[in-house]
Formats: sequence, C-alpha cells, structure tokens
Amino acid sequence: MAASTASESEPGPFTRWVQRSISEPERTYQAMFYVVMVFFLVTTLFPFYWLLVLALTPNDAIRNLGLLPNGFNPGAFLTVFQKVPFHIFLLNSFILAVLTTIIVLVVASLAGYVFGRLSFPGKGVLMLAILAISYFPPAAFLIPLFRLFNGNVSLFGVSSPVLYNTPGAMVLPFSALFMPLSIFILTTFYGQIPDGLEDAARIEGTTRLGALFRVIIPLSAPGVATAGVLTFISVYNEYFFSYLMTDGTVSKTVFGIVSASNHWAPLLQGILSYQTQFNKFYNLMAAASIIGVLPVAILVVVAQEKIVSGLTQGALKE
Amino acid sequence: MGDVKLEGVTKRYDEVTAVDDMNLDIEDGEFVTFVGPSGCGKSTTLETIAGLTMPTDGSITIAGREVTDLPPKDRGIAMVFQNIALFPHMDVYDNISFGLRIRKYDTEEIDRRVERAAEIVQLEGMVDRMPSEMSGGQRQRVAIARAIVREPEVFLMDEPLANLDAKLRVHMRTELQRLHKELDTTIIYVTHDQAEAMTMSDRIAVINDGELQQIAPPLVCYNEPANRFVAGFIGSPSMNVIDGVVDAEGLSTDHLRLRFDTAAVGLAEGDRVSFGVRPEDVYLAENRDVVTDPSETISMQTDVLEPMGDQIFVYMNAPDGETGGMEASDGRDGDQLLMSVEPDADVQADERHEVVVDRSRVHLFDVESGDAIAHGLTEGAAPETATGEVEEA
Repeated sequence: MAASTASESEPGPFTRWVQRSISEPERTYQAMFYVVMVFFLVTTLFPFYWLLVLALTPNDAIRNLGLLPNGFNPGAFLTVFQKVPFHIFLLNSFILAVLTTIIVLVVASLAGYVFGRLSFPGKGVLMLAILAISYFPPAAFLIPLFRLFNGNVSLFGVSSPVLYNTPGAMVLPFSALFMPLSIFILTTFYGQIPDGLEDAARIEGTTRLGALFRVIIPLSAPGVATAGVLTFISVYNEYFFSYLMTDGTVSKTVFGIVSASNHWAPLLQGILSYQTQFNKFYNLMAAASIIGVLPVAILVVVAQEKIVSGLTQGALKE
Repeated sequence: MGDVKLEGVTKRYDEVTAVDDMNLDIEDGEFVTFVGPSGCGKSTTLETIAGLTMPTDGSITIAGREVTDLPPKDRGIAMVFQNIALFPHMDVYDNISFGLRIRKYDTEEIDRRVERAAEIVQLEGMVDRMPSEMSGGQRQRVAIARAIVREPEVFLMDEPLANLDAKLRVHMRTELQRLHKELDTTIIYVTHDQAEAMTMSDRIAVINDGELQQIAPPLVCYNEPANRFVAGFIGSPSMNVIDGVVDAEGLSTDHLRLRFDTAAVGLAEGDRVSFGVRPEDVYLAENRDVVTDPSETISMQTDVLEPMGDQIFVYMNAPDGETGGMEASDGRDGDQLLMSVEPDADVQADERHEVVVDRSRVHLFDVESGDAIAHGLTEGAAPETATGEVEEA
C-alpha cells in the first residue's frame, strides 16, 4: 500500500525534465548543440582572448591575472615594431610561405594530373612511395640537410651550395615536406574532372598541359585553394627548420629584405626575440602573436568557403 | 578538302582488340555514320581519327595529310561529344571562342566568327549565358557552334544527340542535316541509333566487334546487306533469319520450304544457308496478289500482336510450337517469325494463318561466315547477286 502511494506521487523536477526530453527529442538535440558549440567556441577563441589580455597588460603588471587585463597598454602593439624589426620577420615568413606554396602547387598539379588522370604501370607503387616518404618525421632529414646546405657534401669533387641563411635552405625542404599532402588532394580533384572536358580542350587546340591549366585547374578551384592554404599555413607557422637553417638575424629595413644582411629568420623567431637574457616581455610576445595571426586569419576567411567544400569533397572521395 | 582515309587502323588494349584493321575512304563533304552495337569499336575509331587515342597500327590521313602521330589540335578537326562537354566555368561566348583564343585570333575576327556561328545554330543573344542556365538542346547547339566556329576540315560527332529527349532528338537531327547542307563539310557521325544513321547519312559504316561489316548508302545497307550482322542490325524490327539446308528445289528448314533456282545462286544440294526476310516482306496468304513473287504458303500460329498505329507487328510461332532455328539479332524469341500487316488486317492473337514471303525480297546468307549469298530469289530465272559495296578485311 505504501509503495503504490509513492509511485502515484508528483514526479520530482529532474524526472519531469528527463520525461520531457524523451517526449521532445528535438529540444534535447537543440540543447546539446548549444552545449557543444559553446565548448568549441571557448576552446578556440579563449586563447586569442588570453593573448589580448596579456598584450594589453603592462609587462610589470603581469602577475595574479584575472580574466580582465590588469591595466590598459595598447602601445604594446607599436612597441613590438620598435624593439625589433618585427615587420621584417613577418614579411620573411610571408615570402617563404608564398614561394613554397607556388612551388608546391605547380609541382603537385603536374603530379596530381599524372596520378589522377593517366594510367601507367607502377602508378600504385609510386603513390605508395610518396605516401611512405610523407610519413618520415621531418627531424630525420635535418642533419643530412644541414650538412648539404652548408657545403659539407660533395659529389664528384663539387661541393654542395651554401644555402644557410638563404630562403633556399627553407623553401626546398618545406616544398618537399608539404608536397605529398597537396599531391593527394589534387590527385583526387583532378581525377574527378570528366575526361570529356579535357578531350574537348585538346580538340579545341590546347596541349595536355594547356588543358590542365585552362580547364582542369579552374574547375578544381576548391582543391587548389585547400592545398594552397594548408601549405601556406604550415610554412608560415614552421619553426623547427627555420630556426636551425638561419642564425636568426634580419635586415633593419624593408628594402634590405633581399640583401645579404637579411638572414630570413621567420615570424616565430621574431616573437621569441622579445625574450632576452635579462628581460621577458610577455606582453610584447602576446601582441606580436596577435599581429602574426592576422594574415593567416584573413587568408582563411577569404578562402573559407572553398576550403570547407574542398576538405569535405576530398574526404568523401578517398 | 576534308577527305579522311584510314588504312589498316588497329587499336589493341591488353587483351581486347577494339578496332581491327579498319580501312575507310571518306570523301570531302560526305556525311558518314558509324553504327554498331555498344562496344563495337565505333567510338574508338572516331577517337583515333580525333587523335585522342593513338592507334596500335595503321595510318590516318586527313585532307591529304598524314596525321597519325599528330596531337588532336593539329589535325584540323572539331568534335561534338556525347556528354556535350561545355566548359562549365565559361560563358557561351568563351566556350565558343575557346579554340580561337588559344590560336590567338584577333578580337574582331573572334567576334565576327562567334556571331556567325551563334546565328547558324540559332543562339543569337544568348552568348553571355552560362552553360548551367541553358537547356539540353541549347547546350548541344553551343557545342556545335564551338565546333563550327573554327571552320575545320572535318567534324567528328560522337553520339551528339544521345542525351537529348526523343522530341528534341528528331528536331536536332534535321538541324544537323541543314547544317551539313549549309557548311558542306565532311561529317563523321557515331551513333547506335539506326534511325539517325538511316535518315542523315550519305553512307553508313556498320561496325561489329571492331571490324567494318559494310560501308554503303543507307538503302543499300537495308536492301542488300553484306552479311547476316548488317541484315539483323539495320532495320527495325529486325529481319527474320532462319537456318536451313539446300535441296534440289530450294531450301527447307525444320518447318517450312522455299522453292527457288539454287543453281543460279551457286548453291548445291546439302549446303547450309540462312534465309532472311524482313517483317514487311511477309504477307498473309489471302493478299498474295499484291506480292511480286509469292512463295509457297507457310502455316503459322499467331502469338502476340503489337499494334503500332500505321501497322501491326504479328509474332507467329510454328503450329507445333517449333519453327526450328529461327533467330533475330534484336533478342526476339528464336522460334518466332515476325510479320508486319496493315492496321485493318483481320488478325487476332492465337489464330492459325497461312502466310507467304516475297521471294524477290529474300536474302540468303552463308551459315558459317554469315556473308550474303544472294539478295532476291527467283523461282526459275537467274536471281540478282549481291551488289552491296563490301569492304572485307
């Protein structure tokens, strides 16, 4: 008797909430969507907010920080350029990234055309070899490359060129390291263009190469954008090779960028140069980081639509 | 001069021979159609002419110039594809002028030619549209404009109408004929639709298994097929073909007899031949007065009727259910004889009827090789012998 009374009593608020969720699943999904979205927003955006807090707080006030800046010092965004020629570091990284992206896109386009549109004996083995090489840890190449780029390797009595402190020492290994990913992306895209379009272009008067550049690449724009942006960001953010292939000095002026005084130290070395033997300017490092992110952020926003469709298309096909 | 010559063109893939020793001589201004079932090598032949596929063997000459090793762009050809293949990222103007721009024509010349081409295919005022904004027929016309704008020696068309709906296809068929008359350029046209082949071409090249079966004007292919394959492929519904043995008086099969002058066509007693007759050359016995040379009567049992409006197709079985070795290449039941009669004929399903065939319209084929022995037989006098223009490998 007592048990039946208990089961007939009013359900508690939690029970009611559960029952309502079961009877109206849309509400639950909606709620879960917001929870997950807020989670991702916080994890992706909070680091940027925290950089902003650090940058705005004067360096000697950076202790016991809360969620708000401890003071207000927007001058840090100018000081970064006065303390070191940060714009040169930024420009160096940008130029290295653009050069690498151009090389990667041109070579990977040719490779993608061959792998995606032609059939020949040994194609599978070749693609597998590229995949295998792309799995090598980049660090494994460092010491041989370092010797190579410092003229310590000689073949038939000719010693290798000294590329240390030049863009070549970074652009060449970057191109090789980021090439396989682009080759696979572009192979997938070029392989999807109907044969008829290439045939039509060739009948109309182009060579195979002409058909690639006039028809296949324009129609694969999302894939090319994806490969390009991924390569650009990877090189722009690269630190390991850039740190070891240069001595970290840069020219003092923009016009000196192509002179011998510019040793092509990249963005990350610029940021770390606010950390000296006696001082650590955390606020300047934070401000420089925000400035450094801007070009990539702009690039991604501009190419966003194409990148998203590019990544998903490639994913579906493979 | 847009004459095209193929000499011994062969295309072999690892295991398969797609085109086998093809010899063709196409004259300037001629409209030649390649027909054949799917996978017979007609498209591959066209691709070797275009230069999209390199032949394993043989040589190709276009306008008196050997082009076997030249890339497609240097062959003086233009092509219209089955899937139309307009460049989706370019508007109509850019699509049509693509070839001219690559060949660096000056802007005024390009404008003039694009305008003229658009006029010929009736696309004036549409040149700034994108292909995605156009209907199937309009896109096909853009593709044709793209082909004619370069004023090539030869047009190659690979089933250009296959993806259009039936009504549009008939319309485009007449458009293409008008175009051919207007431009007077050689056209090589690939189709598996024999109605297109019959209506448009000066000559039809019937291809099967990579081999040329017959190249002749449409009516010659129809009336004097070079072999059993051509007989079955050209004409719809296809010809009745029945295997039989020659005896002293003519030919007998398991069920029927046909008397004719065997010596006149060079046949001896005991020879195995196939006898072919088109559905429209089979008549009800009561109408035998209208038949040029009626045969002896054949007793048949009607099975299924297909009223087409202007005629009725009557499928007939032998009364005992077996005709013996009848066959038709369109997948019809091997034991049936097909007759076409006037729509007002008094024929019902499942009736016994006496029929005759027109002896002057009977074809004889060798059972082994399938080659035609005679077209049209006579009871006594010498029959006409095969005159179809046969180019055998």
